[in-house]
Amino acid sequence: MILLENVSFGYGDDSSTVRDISFHIERGEFAAILGANGAGKTTTAKLIDGLLKPTKGRVLINGLDTAKTRVSERARHVGYLFQNPDRQICKNTVREEIAFGLTAVWQNAGEDAIARRVDEVLESFGFSGDEEPFSLSRGERQRVALASVIAIRPEIMILDEPTTGLDYRECTHIMDTIKTMNEEQKTTVVMVCHDMEVVASYATRALVMAGGHLLGDGPVKTIFRDQELLKRASLLPPQIVELALRLGPGFENADTVEEMTEAVSARAKRKGAGV
Amino acid sequence: MISIESLTFQYEGSTEPAVKDITLNIEDGGFFGIIGPAGAGKTTLARALCGIVPHHYKGDFYGSVTVDSMDTVDSKMTDICRVVGMVFQDVESQIISSVVEDELLYGLENYGIPHEEIEERMDFALREVGIEDLRYRTIASLSGGQRQKVAIASVIALRPKVLLLDEPTGELDPGSSRQVFGLLKTLNEKYGITIVVIEQKIMLLSEFAKELAVMSGGSMFCHGPVREVLKRARELEEIGVNCPRVASLAQNLHKEGLLKTPVLINVDEAEAAVRRLIS
Repeated sequence: MILLENVSFGYGDDSSTVRDISFHIERGEFAAILGANGAGKTTTAKLIDGLLKPTKGRVLINGLDTAKTRVSERARHVGYLFQNPDRQICKNTVREEIAFGLTAVWQNAGEDAIARRVDEVLESFGFSGDEEPFSLSRGERQRVALASVIAIRPEIMILDEPTTGLDYRECTHIMDTIKTMNEEQKTTVVMVCHDMEVVASYATRALVMAGGHLLGDGPVKTIFRDQELLKRASLLPPQIVELALRLGPGFENADTVEEMTEAVSARAKRKGAGV
Repeated sequence: MISIESLTFQYEGSTEPAVKDITLNIEDGGFFGIIGPAGAGKTTLARALCGIVPHHYKGDFYGSVTVDSMDTVDSKMTDICRVVGMVFQDVESQIISSVVEDELLYGLENYGIPHEEIEERMDFALREVGIEDLRYRTIASLSGGQRQKVAIASVIALRPKVLLLDEPTGELDPGSSRQVFGLLKTLNEKYGITIVVIEQKIMLLSEFAKELAVMSGGSMFCHGPVREVLKRARELEEIGVNCPRVASLAQNLHKEGLLKTPVLINVDEAEAAVRRLIS
């Protein structure tokens, strides 16, 4: 589905921001790209979307080389949610905003089909459609941007820090919506994210970057327990994983609050019974 | 240091107050965190603390805000500014110079600081923030974290008694976010600067702040020492405020009858508590 082969990219000055990275993401995966500011995460996301073309190597989406594919062709397959919703939103009402992308991408669908799809999306996000995007809060604008991306039913969704600037409830709402798309429609998700708790709760695979290099690639659970790797990438594991690592043997599988509660209470009770 | 009495403020043209009946006392030398869902009134409260509300934003102002014995309504912005240094949410809109050194000089010269003192103050600010090496760099060449530090340095060069920050780590990665809070802690402990910080990252607040105020829908939901506030983890989650995972763990262990007080604020505490339970 997504294939990067020895991809490098530089913005034209002396240093390249992505250096010789290769990975393959299958349909239906939920991958997170992790790393410090300046690690090359957003550049990688833009390379996958085809917004940027590699200076070396190649990027294939469904077998098509992004360097040789037209934007309109890629837009059918790939939806991109920008870090800042204001760089995305361009219409005066939520209804027009959602219809805008759909009309551009679903060129062969009739007006009725598009209107039906707009209504569906408005309903599932709880918008009336008449709201003016720029009078909404940042969190609401982020949801408008996400709704417009989801509307076109992309096979691949690329999200650049989808939860930045959102409060806990808005964050949960957006991430749950994305998770549902991933599970029900087998939408492939690639997400750049700084919040390790969000990554732990939603993603299944983690790609760790530092200084433009891909340092690690594996299941989220495994990556979060690789302390040496996290240190090299200036990352910290989620609190519960860190606690489990410090506690050592017997806590290898305690990654969530519930699992940790269970592990602790089982061992505390065993100790109680032994006394 | 700052005392807020029954503050209600409604922006001109708005149909309801942005903050309602807020009463809060911030002690000299405190490290105060403010958290709450979007639209809770956090930024409006911050604006009231430094006098921008009501001096720059028009609206109906009820109650009072007293900063270092000055009533903000009766005092001039220039006098309030000397006590409260503010770092805005959008650092880009705060920084006006193109070189780091000029950015620091701008504030110092505007305040009429004597020439012989300027050099010393610049050194102090750059050193404490840990950006001495960035002094001659252009702002455009800096990362988000570095710009955040420049904004903080240019404010602390003015030696405010209170440093007020609105979501200073919004765009920063976890490592840089911790660095910024570590810096606030140093400024608080070493120089006694009162810190008031609006922040969404509850893990940072739990670890660094001494007191927390939780806002919701324009009102004060609760406030007090961090430990007391986190005891209400479940209620906080209901109003849309996340809690550190170790705080949720504490609640669970308390429910199981294993932990007496239902609060753990960081991984160190959690580790010690669990070790006591299992060994």
